[in-house]
Amino acid sequence: MTSTLADDLVVIDKLNFAHSYGAHQVYQGLSLTIPRGKITAVMGPSGIGKTTLLRLMGGQLKPQQGEIRFAGQNIPALSRSALYEARKRMSMLFQSGALFTDMSVYDNIAFPIREHSNLPEEIIETIVLMKLEAVGLRGARHLMPAQLSGGMARRAALARAIALDPELIMYDEPFAGQDPISMGVIVKLIKSLNTSLGLTSVVVTHDVAEVLTIADKVIIIANKKVVAEGSPAELQASADPLVHQFLAGEADGPVPFHYQAPSFGEEILGVADAGGAHAR
Amino acid sequence: MLDNVASLGRNVLASVAGAGQAMMMLLRALIGKPQLRKSWPLLMQQMYSVGVLSLVIIVVSGLFIGMVLGLQGYTILVDFGAEQSLGPMVALSLLRELGPVVTALLFAGRAGSALTAEIGLMKATEQLSSLEMMAVDPLRRVIAPRFWAGFYSMPLLALIFSAVGIYGGYLVGVRWLGVDDGAFWSVMQANVEWGQDILNGFIKSLVFAFVVTWIALHKGYHCVPTSVGISRATTSTVVTASLAVLGLDFVLTALMFG
Amino acid sequence: MDSRNTQLAVGFFVIFGILALLFLGLRAANTNFASNGATYTLYAKFDNIGGLKERSPVKVGGVVVGRVTRISLDGDYYEPLVEMTISQEYDEFSDTSSVSILTSGLLGEQYIGLSPGFIDDTVEMLENGDYIHDTKSALVLEDLIGQFLFSQGND
Repeated sequence: MTSTLADDLVVIDKLNFAHSYGAHQVYQGLSLTIPRGKITAVMGPSGIGKTTLLRLMGGQLKPQQGEIRFAGQNIPALSRSALYEARKRMSMLFQSGALFTDMSVYDNIAFPIREHSNLPEEIIETIVLMKLEAVGLRGARHLMPAQLSGGMARRAALARAIALDPELIMYDEPFAGQDPISMGVIVKLIKSLNTSLGLTSVVVTHDVAEVLTIADKVIIIANKKVVAEGSPAELQASADPLVHQFLAGEADGPVPFHYQAPSFGEEILGVADAGGAHAR
Repeated sequence: MLDNVASLGRNVLASVAGAGQAMMMLLRALIGKPQLRKSWPLLMQQMYSVGVLSLVIIVVSGLFIGMVLGLQGYTILVDFGAEQSLGPMVALSLLRELGPVVTALLFAGRAGSALTAEIGLMKATEQLSSLEMMAVDPLRRVIAPRFWAGFYSMPLLALIFSAVGIYGGYLVGVRWLGVDDGAFWSVMQANVEWGQDILNGFIKSLVFAFVVTWIALHKGYHCVPTSVGISRATTSTVVTASLAVLGLDFVLTALMFG
Repeated sequence: MDSRNTQLAVGFFVIFGILALLFLGLRAANTNFASNGATYTLYAKFDNIGGLKERSPVKVGGVVVGRVTRISLDGDYYEPLVEMTISQEYDEFSDTSSVSILTSGLLGEQYIGLSPGFIDDTVEMLENGDYIHDTKSALVLEDLIGQFLFSQGND
C-alpha cells in the first residue's frame, strides 16, 4: 500500500511507546497512515492500546521513539504552544463523552467557541444551534449532562467535538455500551458528518459489524504493530488467520483464549516454581 | 533489612517526585499572562463554592469555640479573681491560634476535600483530557481559579471566625456570667495589638490558605482516576493538609512569637 | 442571572470579611498607641529591673504613654539599660523626671512609672535619645524580707 503525503492527514512512522520507562511495551515499530477526508477504522483486541494511539495523536502522551505527523507537523516534537495550536485543528470524542457536568448542553457546545474566539453571543448561538441540529439535540439544549441518556450524551459530545470545525476527529469507542438504536444513530452521524463537513475521521472500536459498513479504510492492530490494513472488502477476503479470527469473532486462534500462564496442569499440581511466584 | 532500606529509598523518591509534580503544576497554572475577561467569572464561581459555601460552618464553629473559650476561661480565671482578663484571653487565643488554625482545618475538610473530589472526578470522566484536546489548558482553566479562590477565601474566613468567636466569648462572659462589659473590651484592647496579634494571625492564615489549597488541588489533579483513587485522594487531602497546617503552625508561632 | 447571584454572594462574603477585620481592629485591638504614630526614644539605667519585659507599658499617673522596646546590659559594670518608646504627643518631660519600676496589683505585670519633674528656666526638656538619670529599681521580695529581718535584728 503506497500513498503520497498529500493524501494523508496523519502519518505515523516507526512508533515505539511504553507508558513508563521499563514498563510493558505498547507499540513497537508501529507505522500507519490516515487518509484525508476518509473514515479510517482502527480495530484490534481489547487492551491493545487503541485509546493510547488516539492520545499519542493528540499529543497527550509522548512516544519514546518515532514520528507522528499531523498535517506535516511532528506532534511529539512540538512546543507547548504549537501543540495547543495544532489541537485546535483536531478534536476527540471520548468514550464517556466527557461533557462538563457543571454546564448545560448548550454551554458545553458553546465552550470551545467561547474559548477560542471573540464572537458575539448571537453568532455563537447560531453556531451552537446548527451543531445541535446536526446531531438532533436542538430540543435538549437546556438540559444538564446528568439528565441525558448515554446515547444522547455521546451525541451532545459529538456536537461539541465539531463545534470548531476541526480537520480531524477521533472517536474513542463510539459504539461501546450503546443500544442498537443509538448505535445506528451514531453510525449514521459519523458517516454524514464526514461527508458533509469534509472531515477526516478515525474510529477506534472493536464493533466490527458497525464500523465495516462506513469505513473507507480498516487498520487492525495486534502484537504491538499493524497486522493488516486495507478496505473492508480486502480484509474480509484476507486469508490471514488473525484477521479472520478478529472479523469473525472466534474465541480461540492466533489471539489465544488464555492469558499468558504456566500450563494448567503444572499450576494445579503445585510445582515449586508456581508456589514461589504466588508468594511474590 | 536491605529490602527495608530499598523501600525507604523508594518512598523518599516517590515523595520527592510528588512534591516536584505539585510544584510544576502550581507554576504552570499560575505563570503566564492572565486573561482577566475570562478568568474573572471563573474566579467568582470558585469564590462562591469555596468561600461562600464554607461560611456557615465557619460562623457556627467560630461562635461555639468562642463561647467555650468564654466558659472555660471564666471558670479558670475566676479562681484567681482575674475574670477581667477574660477578654484578652479569648481574643488572643482566637487571633493568634484558633482563628487561623481551626479555619484551616475546617477549610481542608469542607472545601479542600470537595476540590480534590471535583478535580479527581473531572479527571476520571476525561473532562480534563477533553479540555486539553480542545486546546484549553486545564491548569489555567481548572486549577488556577480554584487556587486563587482558596487563597483569597481562607484569610477572610479566618477573620470572620475570629470576630464571631470573640462575640461568642462576649455573649458567655459578659451576658451570661456577668463579667463587666467595659472591662471585657478595655482590657482586651489594652492587650491586643495590630501588628503583633492581628497581622501575624492574618499572615498565618495566608500561609495555611496557600498550603491547604495547593495540597487539595495537587491530590485531585494527580489522583488515580478511579472511584477508589478519588476516595483515597480525598482522604489524603484532609490528612496531609491538616498535618501540614499543624506543623506549619508550630514553625510560624516559633518565628512570630518565640 | 445565575452568575449575578454568585457575584452578589461573593461580594457580601468579601464585605463580611472586611467588616470582621474592622471589628477586630477597632473593637478588639488598641489602635491609639501601637506601632503607628510618631514616637521618640528615652533611656534609663536601673540597678535591677525585676520582671520588666519588652513591650511593658510606660505610664504617667496610670495613663499609658509608651512602651519598653528593648532591655539590654550596658557599660563596664553591666547595668540594665531600658529603651522606652514614648508617643510624640507627650514630649514635654523635663530632665528632672524620674522613672521607677512598679507592679500593677499584687500579682500583676510590672511596668515603668514615669513621674514628670518640675519645670523652671534652669531645666531642659528631654529629647529623643536622652537618658533619665533619676531611677528607682524594681522591688525584689527577697531584698525586702532581708531588710525587714535586718531592722528587726537591730531592735
